[in-house]
Amino acid sequence: MAPRDRLTSLSNRASTPLLRAEGLSVAYGTHRVVSNVGFELGRGKGLALIGESGSGKSTIARAVLRLLPATGHASGRVEFEGQELLGLPERRFRPFRGRRIGFVPQDPGNSLNPVRAIGAQAMEAAALLDEPDTALRKALVLETFAQVGLDNPQRVYDSYPHQLSGGMLQRVLIGLAVLPRPSLLVADEPTSALDVTIQKRILDLLSKLQEELQISLLLITHDLAIAAERADSIVVLKDGTVQEAGSTATVFSAPSSSYARKLHGDVPALNPDRYRPLREPGFRHLGARREKTPKIEVAGVTKTFTVDGKVLTAVNDVSFDVQAGTTHALVGESGSGKTTAIRILLGLEQPDTGKIAVGGEQVNGRSPEQLRSVWRHLQLVYQNPFTSLDPTWNVEKTVREPLDRFKIGTHQERALAVRKAFADVGLGEHLLTRKPAALSGGQRQRVAIARSLVLKPDVIVLDEPTSALDVSVQADIVEVLLSLQAKLGLTYVFVSHDLALVRQLAHTVSVMQRGRIVEHGTVGEIFDTPRQPYTRSLLESIPSGAARFARAQPLQHRQIFSEEKIA
Amino acid sequence: MSKAYFDYAAKRLLQAIVVILLSYVFTFVVVSILPGDPITNVLNNPQNGFTPNEIKEIIAAQGLDKPIPVQLWSAFSGFVTGDLGLSMRTNRPVATLIAEVLPSTLVLASAGLAVALFLAAIIAYGTQFLPRRFGQGLLRGFPSLFLSVPNFVIGLVLIHLFGFQLGVFRVIEPDSFWATLFAAIALGIPISAQIAEVLIANLDHESGQDYAAVARGRGLGQMRLFVTHLLKPSSLPVITVVALTIGELLGGSLITETVFGRNGLGSLVQRSVSTQDLPVLQAVVSLAAVVFVVVNLIADLTYPLLDPRVKLLGGQERRPTTADDSSLPISKAVTR
Repeated sequence: MAPRDRLTSLSNRASTPLLRAEGLSVAYGTHRVVSNVGFELGRGKGLALIGESGSGKSTIARAVLRLLPATGHASGRVEFEGQELLGLPERRFRPFRGRRIGFVPQDPGNSLNPVRAIGAQAMEAAALLDEPDTALRKALVLETFAQVGLDNPQRVYDSYPHQLSGGMLQRVLIGLAVLPRPSLLVADEPTSALDVTIQKRILDLLSKLQEELQISLLLITHDLAIAAERADSIVVLKDGTVQEAGSTATVFSAPSSSYARKLHGDVPALNPDRYRPLREPGFRHLGARREKTPKIEVAGVTKTFTVDGKVLTAVNDVSFDVQAGTTHALVGESGSGKTTAIRILLGLEQPDTGKIAVGGEQVNGRSPEQLRSVWRHLQLVYQNPFTSLDPTWNVEKTVREPLDRFKIGTHQERALAVRKAFADVGLGEHLLTRKPAALSGGQRQRVAIARSLVLKPDVIVLDEPTSALDVSVQADIVEVLLSLQAKLGLTYVFVSHDLALVRQLAHTVSVMQRGRIVEHGTVGEIFDTPRQPYTRSLLESIPSGAARFARAQPLQHRQIFSEEKIA
Repeated sequence: MSKAYFDYAAKRLLQAIVVILLSYVFTFVVVSILPGDPITNVLNNPQNGFTPNEIKEIIAAQGLDKPIPVQLWSAFSGFVTGDLGLSMRTNRPVATLIAEVLPSTLVLASAGLAVALFLAAIIAYGTQFLPRRFGQGLLRGFPSLFLSVPNFVIGLVLIHLFGFQLGVFRVIEPDSFWATLFAAIALGIPISAQIAEVLIANLDHESGQDYAAVARGRGLGQMRLFVTHLLKPSSLPVITVVALTIGELLGGSLITETVFGRNGLGSLVQRSVSTQDLPVLQAVVSLAAVVFVVVNLIADLTYPLLDPRVKLLGGQERRPTTADDSSLPISKAVTR
């Protein structure tokens, strides 16, 4: 190359963005999922594509990586360092893969070949370095493993994927992605499958590598708070079109599109006091607690399991009380014992020791028939509405089933009760004859709540009721739950890993770690004056970079109880 | 190899032996309670021309005059010590009769299995390399086609085409190389269909997995991806499928032998059924059980060695669906 040419190409390099998309559209057959999307990402910068499920954000990432399934077709332009990528034949695009564009996938548990050792797969990434010496390549792999915070690189190298935890696997995958020193890293929801504290560590790692290695980051996320914390600019997507784009500060402090404003309002981390009026009655009940016996009393409950000959204490000496009409949150990461705790509370599991009483009646040690009378007053809403409803039943039958089982009322009375429960959760009667497959995730979870309401229980146990749902749908469900509590005086036990959400709706909180309750208190005590280091680490894992933008926003109260839009 | 593996192997071996012994007893009892007994049907049948003295001799030798439990006990203790008894029809040791014809059947069955594996591999792996529109659809159609044609029809077509029309092999020499090959093809085609369907389904599944996309994102080409990543996980389940098709392979062998005029287990079974030669039938059924159990035992013992995910828990084989709960999305992890 002549010196002059090199000069011009250098100046080009400085002025062109690293990645630029223009008029990018993706269609599966005739179904268009992304239309006319454009964005620019500068060198060493971070760009977040945010949106809910179906917004096309992951499809865009796959289009940039050219990893769309065979039925997907991308059109428009995607330029990398000025080079158009979409039209390149596969043979000429392959040198970009890994070497210049790295990929960090969403679910680390499925992203490494389960039957091959991690080392063998790492060496594939190392092969992209122009380094002929195998021993040196292996040394580089081990060095990278150490760099991404894996304690024992050689052990990781020799392990199979199933022998490592999700957080470790994501570190491995990030290591493999940065190993060939790409200039762009595409991270597709890199933390949504991980526990909150690990999520923060992984994001910190990505930020650190981005800075140290001068890598540009294209971050795909559904979490506005994460985007605010980690990206320089943001593209907000809905149904495959750009709703708003701009610098992070602008999109946060002055969102111009109604969708971005709504999304902003729905993110729990940004709006801790959103439901204050709805929670007031609960706080009043809590204030009067000395005069009444608690609705739920759990005292000294311990449960052990034997796995592979080892004794595992899933729940260790757990005690808590819940006042009638309040929400008690059990918070913890996976394996903390919160699910086992509610299974014991529901009588689905017998504790080894301890005592559980609901409404003054003891739950544990009952025969199955006696448990039935407890269940009339104690209902469960399961976390995943996509699997908790019978797909072959219409939802009217699903909601009516508890009445049929308990033989409550005449046929007409049951039909009326079902309609009442439907109205309570804001579902239209025209949906009664639908099967779950014809409903959205939010509608399904409303059906599940209606099913638990139909017996007129006093206590509802909510096991991560919104973790499978989008943030705007989550806001709808939370509103339904809080309105019902304000109206009917229900007592909730709310299990969640999402502290920001807990802060929005709980009255009292128990923080669980490895089967024990490490801290217990009112929502104010836990969030404003945490005493335990573990609680503090959980609180720190709530993306906080957004908080400063959030305060600039005037507090907007939602209209209480919006009817579900007609599907 | 770990202690867990040896515990597992010992337990499976014990189970296998119990299954074989139980299958022997079960066969014996079923045959005994079926209507019609060999004395009236075979020995006293004037067409067979036994003299009264011969009949007495055979009844005494076989112990047919004794109660069923006694007969079972003597047959069972003979089976355990390796004595399969005497054929009622020829009065020769059953073991000798079987040993004469078994090699021919084993050759055919092994060749049939080889053909099946070869065809299945070509069909299934071929789908990964042919363009989606053309060729792939054709290959994907083969298994259902193969499954819908019975193997004796395939055999007759092959004999007609290659034996009579093209003269590749001589029909009157059924044990020649070419005749055996075509018999193996007739036997292998329907079995290849089942293996190919499993392979194709696995390949489709594995190539749609995240790790395949991530590996492509790492710069692997189609061929490297297939050889280093997809081949092993998609082929492992075939071990189980092959073990399960052994029964079909044996049954198919008997039919194919008849079609091609080979002298093997098939003709022995045919003759023994028509004369109700119970000791021979009992021995053949037990032999089939032994083969089936042994092949499945081998499959079970090799699987844990090939798939690192298989955990051996107290002698029970369990393929974990996911390795580590914390690696799951939280929505799944909490359901435990």
